[in-house]
Amino acid sequence: MNGRSESLKIAVEKPKTKEFKKRSTKLNLNWLLGGIIPLILLITWEVAGRIGLIEAHLLPTPTKIINEIINMGAAGTLWGHIGTTLLRVGAGFFLGTIAALILGSIVGYFTVFEKLMDPLIQAFRSIPSLAWVPLFILWMGIGESSKVTLIAVGVFFPVYLNIVSGIQGVDRKLIEVGKIYGFTSAQTLRKIILPASLPSFLVGLRSGLGLGWMFVVAAEIMGASKGLGYLLVVGQNTYSPHLVIASILLFAVIGKLTDSLLKNIEKKSLSWQDSFSNQR
Amino acid sequence: MKSSFTRFFILLLALFTITGCSSNASGANGKPKKIILDYAYYSPTSLILKEKGFAEDLFKKEGIEVEFVLSQGSNKALEFLNSKSVDFGSSAGAAALLAKAKGSPIQTVYIFSKPEWTALVSKDSSINSVEDLKGKKVAATLGTDPYIFLLRALEDKGLSAKDVEIINLQHADGAAALLSGEVVAWAGLDPHMARVEKEAGANLFFRNPDFNTYGTLNVRTEFAEKYPEYVTKVIEAYEKARQWAIDHPEETAEILAKEAQIDIEVAKIQIGRNDFSTSKPGDEQIAAITAAGDVLKNEGLVEGNADIEKIVRDLINSSYFK
Repeated sequence: MNGRSESLKIAVEKPKTKEFKKRSTKLNLNWLLGGIIPLILLITWEVAGRIGLIEAHLLPTPTKIINEIINMGAAGTLWGHIGTTLLRVGAGFFLGTIAALILGSIVGYFTVFEKLMDPLIQAFRSIPSLAWVPLFILWMGIGESSKVTLIAVGVFFPVYLNIVSGIQGVDRKLIEVGKIYGFTSAQTLRKIILPASLPSFLVGLRSGLGLGWMFVVAAEIMGASKGLGYLLVVGQNTYSPHLVIASILLFAVIGKLTDSLLKNIEKKSLSWQDSFSNQR
Repeated sequence: MKSSFTRFFILLLALFTITGCSSNASGANGKPKKIILDYAYYSPTSLILKEKGFAEDLFKKEGIEVEFVLSQGSNKALEFLNSKSVDFGSSAGAAALLAKAKGSPIQTVYIFSKPEWTALVSKDSSINSVEDLKGKKVAATLGTDPYIFLLRALEDKGLSAKDVEIINLQHADGAAALLSGEVVAWAGLDPHMARVEKEAGANLFFRNPDFNTYGTLNVRTEFAEKYPEYVTKVIEAYEKARQWAIDHPEETAEILAKEAQIDIEVAKIQIGRNDFSTSKPGDEQIAAITAAGDVLKNEGLVEGNADIEKIVRDLINSSYFK
């Protein structure tokens, strides 16, 4: 019995190891393939900059941009800017999500509220982010409150939309099953509606975070003294394109890292789902 | 595979070549089809030029179109020059130096006025000196003369930019932030400064005319090298406007009031703070801009190994004067 179970164990494990090796090789190959064009572009850009094919005051070389980031990091100024921006995005993301969660749940669950509130919310959604800037400055000044509010506005809409569509998209048959089991409204909400709308909510969170990073640039343009958006404006106003590109690069990297963090949370939260992505 | 890579590189090279190309279309016989000038509320001469059509009159017979673009500050004017959006841009001398030190291909060819267009402004009675600003919020527009004026004022009193919190706001927004009490001081610029002084009783608590660098007209080097005689002609048009400003101070104030949408009394204050007697850049301007350059170097806005005197010499070019 013992020997038999051992051989079974080996039979199961061997293909797994092979599959893992195959998968990691494929992953490395994907990384290599994905890196070819960016690498060619970077080398071409660097060479073109060095031989004077590109004007340095318009587009500095990648090495100059990387040096700028390293120098700011070494001087200690970079971390203050990154920290400030992260705090603003974090606060705006939190407030926007809370507001979307409350309003989205009400609108999604109660038809009356949908008819009452949704048209107005949809109308507000079409207002561009920069259109809010003069009003927010007027109402809240140039301090943190106006910046965080602007980011919260950006985060709110995608999260709200996904919560509403998530709740409204819950399978009717699941609700019927809940009724058969004699679930109360609270139990139906907790055991059926929330888990069923969770995938949609998490997608909304990721979209909201993406917009949060877009809105923080608009927010930090309005009278900041710190932050990556401020750094971008400093670069613009002191004719330092390397600083502008360095800021853009930092936005891209930090934005990607925060998105990856949310993606991991999403993966862990939805591990129970019998979906295609969980089978891969 | 090989041919597709070749095509890819040719495409890249084409893109780089396009990046380096000028936006100014050449007409026949080596003359531009269009000359793009900026105008600014801090440059009354440019407003007269636009209002009176001196440039259009000069170039009409040659079939050259003249276009005007508004600059909200030296930073914007120099940005427009850098991106080839304008051929001539109005800025402060120190701001032009900062751009030149960062590699902007520009030349200062004309002085539109010697202004006292900036000072440190407060509305709070507790702020009466530069020393009172320590640890406080001050509004300024990065890359402009008021910003450089603020740095010089701080340095003059043994302080630096690190001793205050500089809030970057465009000039008009800086004035609004001062009035709403969100900043205790503002490195002001006319006409906004004259307006808050006249209408809101703001206090110009630190003034130093020598810390104001001259109002300079800058040209893109590429344009100047390609069409030197047209740089001379633009200067000729500016000279007409400058002379008109000297002869008609009242009407100049009216033009400024109309363009900037400010009260006539405010416009008169600004005009009174402008000296139109100098137009050819020379030693005086070189000295003033070099002094500002040293402050920019100390603050790390210009690289430590930069030769300020050489940069200023490369920047100022009075050879286009007749």
